[in-house]
Amino acid sequence: MNRTVEPGVSAGVLVKEGEIRVRERVWTRRRVLAAARPYLYILPTFFFLFIFTHYPILKTFHLSLFKWNLATPKREFVGLANYLQVWSTPLFWQVLQNNVVFALGTVPLTLALALALALLINQKIRGLAIYRALLFYPTMIPMAAAAMIWLWILTPNYGLLNYYGRWLGLPDIHWLGHSRLALWALVLVGVWKRLGYYMVIFLAGLQVIPEHLNEAAIIEGASPWHRFWRVTFPLLSPTTFFVAIMAVIDSFQAIDQVYLMTAGGPGNATNLFIFYIYQNAFRFFDFGYASAVSGILFLILLALTVLAFRMLHRRVHYA
Amino acid sequence: MRSRPLWRLAVHSLLLVAGLVMVLPLLWIVLTAFKERNEVFSLVPQWLPARPTFNNFLGVLDAMPFWRYYWNTLVVAFGLLAIQLMTITLAAYAFARMEFWGRDVLFILLLVQLMIAPQSTVIQNYLTLSGLGLLDTRLGIMAPYLASAFGTFLLRQTFKSIPKELEEAASLDGCGGFRFLAHIAVPLAVPGYLAFALVSLTYHWNEFFWPLVITETSKARTLTLGLGIFAQTAEGSADWTMLMAATLMVIAVPVLCFLIFQRRFINSFMQSGLGG
Repeated sequence: MNRTVEPGVSAGVLVKEGEIRVRERVWTRRRVLAAARPYLYILPTFFFLFIFTHYPILKTFHLSLFKWNLATPKREFVGLANYLQVWSTPLFWQVLQNNVVFALGTVPLTLALALALALLINQKIRGLAIYRALLFYPTMIPMAAAAMIWLWILTPNYGLLNYYGRWLGLPDIHWLGHSRLALWALVLVGVWKRLGYYMVIFLAGLQVIPEHLNEAAIIEGASPWHRFWRVTFPLLSPTTFFVAIMAVIDSFQAIDQVYLMTAGGPGNATNLFIFYIYQNAFRFFDFGYASAVSGILFLILLALTVLAFRMLHRRVHYA
Repeated sequence: MRSRPLWRLAVHSLLLVAGLVMVLPLLWIVLTAFKERNEVFSLVPQWLPARPTFNNFLGVLDAMPFWRYYWNTLVVAFGLLAIQLMTITLAAYAFARMEFWGRDVLFILLLVQLMIAPQSTVIQNYLTLSGLGLLDTRLGIMAPYLASAFGTFLLRQTFKSIPKELEEAASLDGCGGFRFLAHIAVPLAVPGYLAFALVSLTYHWNEFFWPLVITETSKARTLTLGLGIFAQTAEGSADWTMLMAATLMVIAVPVLCFLIFQRRFINSFMQSGLGG
């Protein structure tokens, strides 16, 4: 603010002018601040989001165009060569097949059981909290811990499963050492670990179904079986579809149990997508090839997720 | 139909069987953890330990830097949560209650984080953190999660539900802008914060793969990773009783918290499913 008093001009007027000028400046600065405020608010989030989400997505596709491994420490541009290599590697196809089998084994079974349990638990019964806790707790524990538990249960000779298998007259089975059974052992762990979570999501879906529809069906004399298939299930189908896609995505992200229980073996019988990427990037240090596989996985999961989001959207309008 | 005793009995017995099947593995490892080492090598199942012992737990403390892992896990889970609470509050408030150019596009760019598998960007994030000199640090384990699309999404819903009139009234009383956020919006959103906190803490307490990639020594390693590494040492892989004791020590606190605050945990996870 101008403090010198010019001769011939009264101090009062000058101060007033100065005040007005200052006020104008404050006003515009305030306006700029107000316009910038939303951007300042989202800045921290987008700073981290860019570095650790957006940039790596783009960079993964970029890296997938380079040859960059132990033999070629200085990376060189090779175009789509990594993708061609992926295409012609039998192991990649086996990994894809393993993962599809794993998803087909895990998802329908988990969902059917989760839905059945959600229907049972959705009744007004005593002891509900206890049942729910028993069914849900595996969601809370780390997959690494679940892997330890099941390693011990599935262990040959002394494992719990073989104890009772013998009881039923089954031979001793080395679940994780058998190339055709190992993947199914992982399916078993997956179902056990995720069942309670999906049950809870189904419960949320069941609770938004209007009571009067079921009551109307009861008055019409529909049997519980009919009511389920004619009322509950159709109204629940957006949830079911959404959960199914989430579960498929989940099965493509399985890694902890693979790393800890089978290390992809025996003979790559349980080698799943993320483990395959991990092997190529951090065991064989072939970053170019691993990036190409990551890119493919990214596209598969993106397609599935967009589908799930659209379903979710529809459900929101539905309810 | 519902009141028929036979129907009730059927529901109870089905749920009881399912619950028992789910809980047996936990029971089995708890009992194993208290057994003597050689007791497990019997060909007849023995549920109860013949001579219950605490030696396995003491052995675990000798065999791995358990408290170091515990401290790292606490720092990672709670430190990360503290930073996330700041980033999601600001972003959620802007997306919920401010008009600005490009808002919808930016929101979709935020949701991208929910749409991708974090595992598919592991390679580049490893390289980035290597460039920043953050390999083998706790900050490195936290880094990819400092911004949370899920948290922002969840909180945005809550902030959106605050009536406009409340904000106008507060503004007239001189409680506008940031002060409205701090003194009115945040306290109103406590249930949303709680839901986010429980999901975030559980997720990062349990996380295995990213810490595995990013750490090299026990300096920054977290509990679950420590457990996995212990399982692959000679000691851990040969002695089931000790491995089960270690597993029990890793899951004890989260499982107890879950049993105490069961309803809150389940509601939080319900919302996590709806949020993506």
